[in-house]
Amino acid sequence: MSMAGALTICRKELADHLGSRRYIVLFALILVLSTLSAYQGTEYIKSNPNAGFMAIFSGARFGFSFTYLMVFFGPIIGLALGFDAINKERTSGTLSVLLCQPIYRDSIINGKFLGGTVALSLLAACTIGIMCGVAMPILGFGPGFNDALRIVLFALLTIVYLTFWLALGLLFSTVTKKTSTSILLSISTWLFCSIVITIIAALIANFIVPIQMPGGTFNPGAQQTSEYRELMQRRATIQMNIQRISPAYLYNEAGSSILGTAGGMFGFGELGRGSPFQRLELAQALATRWPQILAIVVGMIVCFAITYMLFLRLEIRPEG
Amino acid sequence: MSQPMIQTKELSKYYGEIKAVDRLNLTVYEGEIFGLLGPNGSGKTTTFLTLMGLTVPTSGTATVGGYDVIKESRKIRKIASMLPEGAGYYEDLTARQNLNYICQLNDIPKLEREKMIKDLLEAVGLADSADMKVEKFSRGMRQRLGIAEVLIKKPKVALFDEPTIGLDPQGTKEIREMMFRLNKEQGMTVLLSSHLLYEVQQTCQRVGIIRKGKLIAADTIENLSKKLADKWKVTVELELLGASSELIREIEGIKGVTSVNQENNKIFVHMETDKSKEISETVTKHGATILLMKPKEHSLDEIFLEYLKESD
Repeated sequence: MSMAGALTICRKELADHLGSRRYIVLFALILVLSTLSAYQGTEYIKSNPNAGFMAIFSGARFGFSFTYLMVFFGPIIGLALGFDAINKERTSGTLSVLLCQPIYRDSIINGKFLGGTVALSLLAACTIGIMCGVAMPILGFGPGFNDALRIVLFALLTIVYLTFWLALGLLFSTVTKKTSTSILLSISTWLFCSIVITIIAALIANFIVPIQMPGGTFNPGAQQTSEYRELMQRRATIQMNIQRISPAYLYNEAGSSILGTAGGMFGFGELGRGSPFQRLELAQALATRWPQILAIVVGMIVCFAITYMLFLRLEIRPEG
Repeated sequence: MSQPMIQTKELSKYYGEIKAVDRLNLTVYEGEIFGLLGPNGSGKTTTFLTLMGLTVPTSGTATVGGYDVIKESRKIRKIASMLPEGAGYYEDLTARQNLNYICQLNDIPKLEREKMIKDLLEAVGLADSADMKVEKFSRGMRQRLGIAEVLIKKPKVALFDEPTIGLDPQGTKEIREMMFRLNKEQGMTVLLSSHLLYEVQQTCQRVGIIRKGKLIAADTIENLSKKLADKWKVTVELELLGASSELIREIEGIKGVTSVNQENNKIFVHMETDKSKEISETVTKHGATILLMKPKEHSLDEIFLEYLKESD
C-alpha cells in the first residue's frame, strides 16, 4: 500500500484545517469557554476541599463543563472538519486531478480522515492541557497519578468522540454532491443529537408515563410518596434510553464516569437526584460504561467504513 | 509503424440506459497527436475517464502503454497524465504550492522539486505569477498551470480534455504550440478531445470522429475531407457587372455545369468539376465584368457535420 500518498494528503489536509477560519474560530471558542469553566472549577475546589482536581472538568455548579461543551459543540467541530472534504473537491474539479495521480484511491479518503483526526486531537489535547495548566497554579496542586490517568483516558475518549463526528461529516461529503446539502445535513444532525433528542425523549417519557396530578391541583405532599418517586424513576429511565441514540449523550455518560464526576449535567439531573454524589473508581467506571465507549468507537468505525466503500466506488462522471 | 500507445477494444460504458461509450475501437500510436472530435455528450470525456481509471468500463477492454485500464490503472497513472475538462486547482494556494502538492503525490524527491517546479513554470509561461494565489488566475493561466501539472510526472502520453475551451485566440494558440513542442521535443503522445474541428485540424495528425459513443471515422483530416469532396460538387460564387439572362443561359450550357442559381446579385454555379476558366471566358465574351469570383469552399465544420449526418 502506498502510505506516502495518504501521508501527503493528510499533511495538506492538516495544513488546510489549521489555517482555516472555521477551525481557528471553533478552537478559540472551546479554549476560552473551557478555560473559563476550569477557572470556575478551581473556585469550587477552593471552597470544597474534598472535591479533588477533577472538579475542574465538572464545571461545578456553573452548568457548563468541558464535557458539556463537548456534548454541545463536539458534533459541530467534527462535522465542520468533514462535511465538505470530498464534495468540495468534486465540485471544484480538484478531485479528478487528484485521481489522475499515481496514488491509490483509498489514500485520498484515508489521508483526509487522518488529517482531520490529527487536527481534532490537537484541539482536544491542547484544550485539556491548557485547562490543567490554568488550574494547577491557582490550586497549588496537580492531579495525582490516578487522576492523570483519568485525564488521559478522558482525552482519548474525547478524541474518538470527535472523530466519530468527523467520520460522519466525511460520509455526508461523500454521499452529497453539493456542500450546501451536506452542511444542512450536518447542522440538522448536530441540532438533533445535542438538543432535539432531549426534547423528544422528554415528550415520549411524558406520553408513556404521564404524571397525574390528583384533583388537578399541585400537591406538594404527593412528591414525597414512594409511588411518585418510582414514577419519576421510570420516566428518567425511558428518557435516558431514548437519549442514548445520540452519541453526544453516550459520550457524556462515559466521559463523566471516567472523570469521576458522574451526575448532574446536560439536562438529566433526575439521574443524579436522590442518589448521593458518588465518585466511581476508574476501573469501576470503565466496567460500567464500556458499552457507551464501545458504541462510540463502533459508530466511528462504521461511519468511516461506509465512507471508505462509497468513495472507492464513487463514479467520476463527465460534468462532475 | 510505431506501437499503439492507447488501444480500446469494444470499450463500452453505460450509465443506466445511456450508452456514453458504445463499443469504441480506437488506436492511438506512439508519438502522434490524435484528436478525438465529437459534439458535446458524444462520449469523449467518458472515454478519457475510463482510460485513466477514474471510471470502470461496463464492458470491453482498453490499454494505455500496454497496461490494462482495470487491473493496472495505477501503473497507467504513472506514465499517463490527464488534464480533465474543468480541471480544478486549490484556489487558496499559489501556483507553486499547487505544483508542489502534485509533485509530492508523484513522489518527486524534495531536492528535485524546487528546480522542477521552476522549470515547469517557465515552460508554461507562469514564472511571473508563481507566487500568486490561483484564485486570481485567468482562465488561460489556469489552463497553463494545468499543463504544468500534467508534465510533472514526465508522461509518455498526455490526455487533454477540451484543453482550449473558453480560451481566447491567443490562449488557444499558446496551448496548441505547447502541445506541439511537447510532442516534438519529448516525443510525447498526445490525445486531445475537442468539439471544434478547426482546432483539431490545426493540431492533430490524425482525427477520430466520435458520435453517441461510437467511432465513426479515424484518419487524417485531409483524407477525411477528400472522401467527402468526391461526393460533393464544386461550386463557384460569382458577382458580375452587366450580367444578362443570355449570359446566364450560356454559363448553364458549359459542359460540366449542372445548375446556376441567382441570389440577389450573386450567382452560384454548381458543376461536376472545376470550370472556372470556361466561365470567366464566357463572361468576358459577353462584355460583362467579373467583380468577384471565388470557389465556395466547404468549411471544415460542414465536413464534420456531414460525417455526423452520415452516421445517422
